[in-house]
Amino acid sequence: EDEDEGNGLDAWERAYADERSWESLQEDESGLLRPIDNKTIYHAQYRRRIRTTARIQKGLIRYLYIVVDLSRAASEMDFKPSRMAVVAKHIEAFIREFFDQNPLSQIGLVTIKDGLAQCLTDLGGSPDSHVKALMGKLECSGDSSLQNALDLVHGYLNQIPSYGHREVLILYSALSTCDPGDIMETIQECKKSKIRCSVIGLSAEIFICRHLCQETGGSYSVALDESHFKELLLEHAPPPPAIAEFAIANLIKMGFPQRAAEGVISICSCHKEAKVGGGYTCPRCKARVCELPTECRICGLTLVSSPHLARSYHHLFPIPPFDEVSLSLNNPHQRSSRACFGCQESLLIPGNKPTLCVACPKCKQHFCLDCDIYIHESLHNCPGCESFR
Amino acid sequence: MGRSAVMAPVPSKLYSDDVSLLVVLLDTNPFFWSTASLPFSKFLSHVLAFLNSILLINQLNQVVVIATGCNSCNFIFDSSSVPANPNLENGRMPALCSNLLQKLEEFVTGDEKLSKEVLAAGIGSSLLSGSLSMALCYIQRVFRTGPLHPQPRILCLQGSPDGPEQYVAVMNAIFSAQRSMVPIDSCVIGAQHSAFLQQASYITGGVYLKPQQLDGLFQYLSTVFATDLHSRRFLQLPKPAGVDFRASCFCHKNTIDMGYICSVCLSIFCKHHKKCSTCGSVFGQAQSDGNSATDRKRKTPET
Repeated sequence: EDEDEGNGLDAWERAYADERSWESLQEDESGLLRPIDNKTIYHAQYRRRIRTTARIQKGLIRYLYIVVDLSRAASEMDFKPSRMAVVAKHIEAFIREFFDQNPLSQIGLVTIKDGLAQCLTDLGGSPDSHVKALMGKLECSGDSSLQNALDLVHGYLNQIPSYGHREVLILYSALSTCDPGDIMETIQECKKSKIRCSVIGLSAEIFICRHLCQETGGSYSVALDESHFKELLLEHAPPPPAIAEFAIANLIKMGFPQRAAEGVISICSCHKEAKVGGGYTCPRCKARVCELPTECRICGLTLVSSPHLARSYHHLFPIPPFDEVSLSLNNPHQRSSRACFGCQESLLIPGNKPTLCVACPKCKQHFCLDCDIYIHESLHNCPGCESFR
Repeated sequence: MGRSAVMAPVPSKLYSDDVSLLVVLLDTNPFFWSTASLPFSKFLSHVLAFLNSILLINQLNQVVVIATGCNSCNFIFDSSSVPANPNLENGRMPALCSNLLQKLEEFVTGDEKLSKEVLAAGIGSSLLSGSLSMALCYIQRVFRTGPLHPQPRILCLQGSPDGPEQYVAVMNAIFSAQRSMVPIDSCVIGAQHSAFLQQASYITGGVYLKPQQLDGLFQYLSTVFATDLHSRRFLQLPKPAGVDFRASCFCHKNTIDMGYICSVCLSIFCKHHKKCSTCGSVFGQAQSDGNSATDRKRKTPET
């Protein structure tokens, strides 16, 4: 019955069939209807998120394999237009976000189709090559095999340097797995090799996925709808808490190339063609590369620019969560802080009702809820602390 | 600052793509201005004429000024707020100047009072990271007003040297501006180039300029920095030349082009070490959880 919701209905009717708009109303104390206050809901969600990620050492150099389930279950249309299309669309956004937050990390793609696992792209740091490869291979058929995928990924991840954190993210549409051997053994192998496996399911919770994630220290979640799936997927973009013994600390030799002078003609080592101006010069072997970060193809030196490293520094120097404060007009000490320190929006609502706002525990400045979310999720600076010496 | 007026809803055909919100970060650091070649009063007259011209180009343009002091930062002026004295004639023009100058004077006096007796080694720099952070929070508020909003950009009028202690905070602000697609323009009026602002303008797609002749500052401002983002596609603006992306080592602060990075905390060193001085990780061994709150036995003994 529910599958027919798209057919024969006008757009306004579809909104009622799909969205159940009556659920977004609430009753207040006197029984009158009022709409849900989205702002406090987003803020509550955000507070739950930051509580779990404070002050834990993070694995900054990550080698992540994304396993995409292209079995026949991926052609189901409960996610419109099909599970496979929705997954592919959000993987593209995830890959860009991942490299934005982890510029020194690498991603590889693996697909499961007809009971076999295949490597789609090798571990690499360039988002476009992964996205292009994925978009070209979107067909689904056959069974899904979790064990084959894990075996394949396990083999590849054993070859990476010891300072890197090994991760697998499985986007699983099927409700079962057809395996050639004992999957429990494979899970133990992954656990021994310190690979952190996480799963995002699109159908329902499956015990074997739950067991895999529990054993390897990953996270398991099942998406309820497309926007929930996007949210769950993007939760894997920031570095997960690192388990200290998993990766061996090491000094990695890296180069910081200078930008080549304009007008200089040289042959670039990535495309093997002559280029004029632009590009960067490897400090060790003087080969020209087109973009950063990359590995020099001639001498193998990892080449980065200082902003790439700086992108991860906010994980090392996080700002403390702000404390919730209730502003009331009667308190004489709070007279001076009538406006949010960041955006200057008034913190008072008409009617002299106490409003909810937050304050930084270090500089004691008051901020509105929206600035609180922006500061902790994007800016990573407290304007109050930065504006006072 | 008084409460801002609610921005009146405007019919959509008036919100064309060349409406700008310009947030100006004004360096008021007295340590810099006392030795600058251009006097502060002359500098202000150039800047005020420039701000007036922005408001004249399009009646929907908005200008916000934030002062970057050496001990504090604060909002000085917001063209969308109700003027304090509505009885002034000729609309906003005189009110803009007197309003701004009055708030600026209050700010500078207050900023100087905050100066501590003992000056730390990093003094001489202004709090650029603070005013950048405040500007970005304000711009986020403008984004929240809905789909019809002016195109925001930031203009830094900076003369003080870069403070290395602000590096991480400035980079955080730059990356956040890049994600929100807010360009950071820089007009450097000090004696030396600013590596921070060069990186800021390069990463966010803004314009970086160090004017040759400061007594013609208004000319530079009105030809390079006055145009809205949409029109920049048709104009030849100064291109970035020689942005230095090399890193400095944490041990000596020397610029290096090859170095060693700690895989745990990404600190940069110029020589091989046995142990990371920032995070305490011992290289070559699985490190123990010294940083976390849980009490764990050390797996490998420290040599």
